[in-house]
Amino acid sequence: MRSFNGPKRYLITGTILLSIVTAFFLIGLFWTPYGINSTDSASKLMAPCAEHIFGTDNLGRDVFSRCLVASRYTLLVSFAGVATALLFGTFTGLVAGYYGGWRDKVIMILSNGVMCFPGILLALVAVAIFGASMFNVIWALGIVFSPTFARVYRSGTIELLDRDYILQAKIMGVSPTRITLIHILPNLMPQVIPAVITGLANMTLFESGMSYLGLGVQPPAASYGKMLSDAQSYMTTAPWLIIFPTLMLVCYILGLYFISEWIRTSVKGGSR
Amino acid sequence: MSSTVRATLTKVCEFLLTTLLVSFFTFAAFSIIPGDPARIMLGTEASEEQVEQLRVELGLNEPLAERYVKWLDNAFRGDFGTSLSFNTSVGDLISSRLPVTLGMSLIALIIVLLVSFPMAAICSKRPGKPLDKALSCAGHILFAIPPFALSMMLILFSANVLGIFTAGRYTAPSVNFGSYLSSLLLPSFCIALPKIAMTFKFLRASMIEYSQGDFVRTAKSHGLTDLRIMMKHIIPNSMVSSVTVISLVLSDIMGGSLIVEQVFNLPGLGRLLLTSIARRDFPLLSGIVFYLALITVILYFLADLISALIDPRIRDRRNV
Repeated sequence: MRSFNGPKRYLITGTILLSIVTAFFLIGLFWTPYGINSTDSASKLMAPCAEHIFGTDNLGRDVFSRCLVASRYTLLVSFAGVATALLFGTFTGLVAGYYGGWRDKVIMILSNGVMCFPGILLALVAVAIFGASMFNVIWALGIVFSPTFARVYRSGTIELLDRDYILQAKIMGVSPTRITLIHILPNLMPQVIPAVITGLANMTLFESGMSYLGLGVQPPAASYGKMLSDAQSYMTTAPWLIIFPTLMLVCYILGLYFISEWIRTSVKGGSR
Repeated sequence: MSSTVRATLTKVCEFLLTTLLVSFFTFAAFSIIPGDPARIMLGTEASEEQVEQLRVELGLNEPLAERYVKWLDNAFRGDFGTSLSFNTSVGDLISSRLPVTLGMSLIALIIVLLVSFPMAAICSKRPGKPLDKALSCAGHILFAIPPFALSMMLILFSANVLGIFTAGRYTAPSVNFGSYLSSLLLPSFCIALPKIAMTFKFLRASMIEYSQGDFVRTAKSHGLTDLRIMMKHIIPNSMVSSVTVISLVLSDIMGGSLIVEQVFNLPGLGRLLLTSIARRDFPLLSGIVFYLALITVILYFLADLISALIDPRIRDRRNV
């Protein structure tokens, strides 16, 4: 079982999938075969062929070029969103776990409160109030995801607190800031890294959903979610408009998912 | 016994506190709108008098704390105010759309349970065998497809290959309950599939863990059949982790239905939500948000109670 279905297979499949997305991202930065918003009335709704390998949409835009460019927004939103969530989550989780007591109670009640809103709902409200833009989507999703990280840090910190080296540091009078940053934080990496990677995947799911509803990345920028919602009226006649953006999303999410699975199964202490 | 009562009371207090917090979040979110909400709702062309009139109507001239108490008081009596774009009571609007969203979530949940339990039971019996690998792999892939993309693919498939379904057909439950259910079946399935993958993964892991326990070996040596061991010993033990997973899945299902009903053109809360966002109808929006969050809080609370009820270990641990 181990040789065939073991951790290594996750790593290989995940790396292949992620390198496809990375290749799209890098190529899209420097070169696209057609402009992403250049319309061509002569070639509307063309099936995949030699000139347009992913076909064209109802305005005659090249789907391949749009897929190349859209990858950068997917990557940007997922990374920036997770970074925001980590910023909030690390701080609150460490404080709650290290100090316990009333700080812990307050933080846990607040994070429970946030988690009670279906995630996408909270992000939609933020966008409704502050307007639809990529920046608003990033911080809104960051807040939605921060309780997840706060929980990981909190439970990890509590677990480490009665280790001898932490007690030793406390007795020596090391400041709480130094203990958490130097002694606790690095030791939580095995739990945090899979959570970050899963967070990236979930963030992408949310972002594409919001872009699909027209409340995420705004045109003229291309995003997979928006491409899919534009394609919906033509999907029976032009299924390639749906298949290729979906494949790109699946590549990215599945790749991340496999890598996190690899870390979970191969790193000791990573699986709880 | 008294400690059980105390534990339950603590949970009820937590529940009430969370409800209050959720209501505060909702209220606060709509109070920190940059600029004058009345001005935003009416647009730039409205006159000063119109804006002032709306401000009085919305009670915006009163202090914040007073407005919160008033809003909360009304909300718990089911009165969320009047929608600005529909000109009817928000409560009525929500309750007219509720059958779609709630029905879809419920059907999705039932599908998740009906599919993931047998799947996990079969896979956990022979982990690592081809069937287990195939199902686990399918689970990974399903998990990675966004629900709305999955919905489109299923619509394509059922329309082109099976020729049975056209999206956008919806019958109210009061008209014909059978066709109401059938119109919600495919959308519910789309919401359920990724969640089946998630629930299956958790259940499979916990069932494998329990099937290696000493009590299973003892049961086997007593000559119990595999089916009996599964039903009497392994499934009851993995019930607890399943309640935890399901309570996690629930809020995802609610959120998922908001998007999926858009794909299927169903007149549910998600559509209403998007309309209210597009028309900047904040009383309606805050009503929907609070309502959905309240449902989730209640469901979490119930899951918490149930898991304590079915597992003495949790009950005892919390009592200490």
